[in-house]
Amino acid sequence: MQIAEKLQSMAARSPWLYRINAGSCNGCDVELATTALIPRYDVERLGCKYCGSPKHADIVLITGPVTAAVKDKVLRVYNEIPDPKVTVAVGICPISGGVFRDSYSIPGPLDSIIPVDVNVPGCPPRPQAIIEGVAKALAIWKTRI
Amino acid sequence: MKELFSYAFHMLVFPGGVFALCLGLLLKGVDRKVLARMQRRVGPPILQPFFDIVKLGRKETILPASGHTPMFRFAPILGFMGMMVAAMVLPIPGVWNGAEGLGDMLMMLYLLPMPALALMLAGSSSSSPYGAIGASREMILMFAYEIPLLAVILAVAFKVGHATGGVAEFSFAKIVEYQLQNGSLIFDWTMFPAFLAFLMFIPGTLGSVPFDLAEAETEVLEGPLLEYSGPGLAMFHLGAALKMVVVMGLGVVMFFPGTIPGGWITNMGWFAVKCMLLMLFSVTLVRAAMGRLRTDQTFKFYLKYPATLAYVSLGLTYFIR
Ligand code: SF4
Repeated sequence: MQIAEKLQSMAARSPWLYRINAGSCNGCDVELATTALIPRYDVERLGCKYCGSPKHADIVLITGPVTAAVKDKVLRVYNEIPDPKVTVAVGICPISGGVFRDSYSIPGPLDSIIPVDVNVPGCPPRPQAIIEGVAKALAIWKTRI
Repeated sequence: MKELFSYAFHMLVFPGGVFALCLGLLLKGVDRKVLARMQRRVGPPILQPFFDIVKLGRKETILPASGHTPMFRFAPILGFMGMMVAAMVLPIPGVWNGAEGLGDMLMMLYLLPMPALALMLAGSSSSSPYGAIGASREMILMFAYEIPLLAVILAVAFKVGHATGGVAEFSFAKIVEYQLQNGSLIFDWTMFPAFLAFLMFIPGTLGSVPFDLAEAETEVLEGPLLEYSGPGLAMFHLGAALKMVVVMGLGVVMFFPGTIPGGWITNMGWFAVKCMLLMLFSVTLVRAAMGRLRTDQTFKFYLKYPATLAYVSLGLTYFIR
């Protein structure tokens, strides 16, 4: 029993990140890239690593309002991520549609399409807010693995 | 029966298996931490690779629908088992004598490309275009770096062979013994070019940064590993960790296998320290300082510099006895 708990706490310290751009204006993506890549806000200290393939991912960061053109693709990529996984909506766009709200080309906010665990509001959110979002996602990830 | 058990122990626990795995993952952790410190980041904990492996083991496996499933499942095991055997064959100076065969060095030459072959199988069986590109790049890379490796190994074998009165010596145990008596080969100026060539060979065979074309995250999204998830991916990472130990160990055995006084425990630590130093100079520093080369540049690089250096050593061993 103790070994199982130990293994779980070890596994919980290695969340790999994957970003999906669901029609974002690139503002949030730039913030995501800087939070991860610049030394000052290094997320690798939390054990995170950005991965190129959805099949390696644990925490998905989704930016953008999910346009009609990418909806199916987002769903397809999301389903390729092995369980257990945690979803983080970055920016006001996936939360409510933001400036694109009620547009004819937006099939709805993100949580009407896939389950969302953490919301990080802001347009675009500050790097600190994104890191806090990742930390919250980490807490959820610990309960799932 | 007793022999069988001892073989199983050596392959699964001591120089192969558990010990080599722990050392390999530790080396990877140190590599990541030092790289982060060089970039003035905090970096992950040193035990991070262990956490990654445990996590990957608990994740779901997703098989590609149109891939060749048996091959897809077999590929990671091939690379992993090849490296397990290689770790058992390789001697640890002062601790373990290796296979003590006549030609274990030649056997190593066949075992070392196993993970690359596994990557090729993985890439081509996963039915993904990125995987196929990754597999073809891995193949090109392998053709490039195998040539200097062969020349380095021949240079070392001829050197020790001539010095002991024969032609060539392909036994690791004999090579270590010779160096323990006559000083390490790295201090011999005729072998220094070969050592440089070996340093350049290391990042290529490990697929680390200037030569990571097969797994280039930004272009081919980790190439052959793209379709792997969960335990299969963990197996590939374990194989890579073992390969780290085997390649560094090969360098230590061929060029500076000196021992320090004390029992086998101190010598094991000494071996680990030497592996770590070799890794810091050939992998971490290079990784921090360079960007990726193109496929054709890599190919030209390997056929120009390391191959020339290794041939120089080979020539010198022939003329200067
Ligand atoms: S939240 Fe703002 S910055 Fe982010 S994608 Fe939407 S509009 Fe762009």
